[in-house]
Amino acid sequence: MHLKLFVLSASSVALWIAPLAALDKTLDIHKALQGLSLTAAIACAVTAGNIAREQAEQDEIEAMKAKAVKADVIDEISTSVYVSQQQRQQEAEQILNPREHLERALALTYEGEEESEPMVQNQLAEPEQNASENAESERAKRVLQLKERGWAKAKIIRNCSTPLTRGRDRH
Amino acid sequence: MRAMYLANYFLSRCIAFSLLEWVASLHPIAFRAVLCLLAAIAIARGLSWLLDFSLSKLLKISVADLQALLIGGFAMLLIGLGVFLCT
Repeated sequence: MHLKLFVLSASSVALWIAPLAALDKTLDIHKALQGLSLTAAIACAVTAGNIAREQAEQDEIEAMKAKAVKADVIDEISTSVYVSQQQRQQEAEQILNPREHLERALALTYEGEEESEPMVQNQLAEPEQNASENAESERAKRVLQLKERGWAKAKIIRNCSTPLTRGRDRH
Repeated sequence: MRAMYLANYFLSRCIAFSLLEWVASLHPIAFRAVLCLLAAIAIARGLSWLLDFSLSKLLKISVADLQALLIGGFAMLLIGLGVFLCT
């Protein structure tokens, strides 16, 4: 197509200039040939112009297609980046705040608000109660051990209430 | 490619003005007819140059484009006439 375009352009220029320069304007046959060559030159130039216009339009369409494909790819990449970022953020929130996550999970698990609230509170309070009960039982065991060793009541109370100073009182 | 397209149309109009001169050289009556045609083209071009703003609104093109068309047409006329007369 490009070759045809260039050939038509070159032939139009040649058919325009060459007969006018080479042929005599006084002879009738030469004049007729000049007219024919000028007409042919116009035809060649118009044909070449049409071909070039079609080619330019095709190039524009190809450029638009390439732009559309590029925009699609960019959109897909940005979407995947956004999704992965959201997933990572959710994972980080789950790791950093398990209590809140538990609350949310429990709130979602139980349907009724009136029923779910006390149960959630109970489930959340269970670890705290267990921890306090464990501490009390350990303290009672410690008191019994100290009584067996013959420690005084006041000393035991002071010892159990201030565990950091325990070692100092023994000495 | 767009430049090729514009160049080929420019060339075709230049050759058309040369052909017009060739027609004018055939007979004195044809010469007068071509002179009248060129005069009409010159008047139309002058009016278009003067009324460029209203004409650009009518044709829905910018004033710069209209002036470029007028200058391009004048250049085509000059090249076509020059080539025919100088060869």
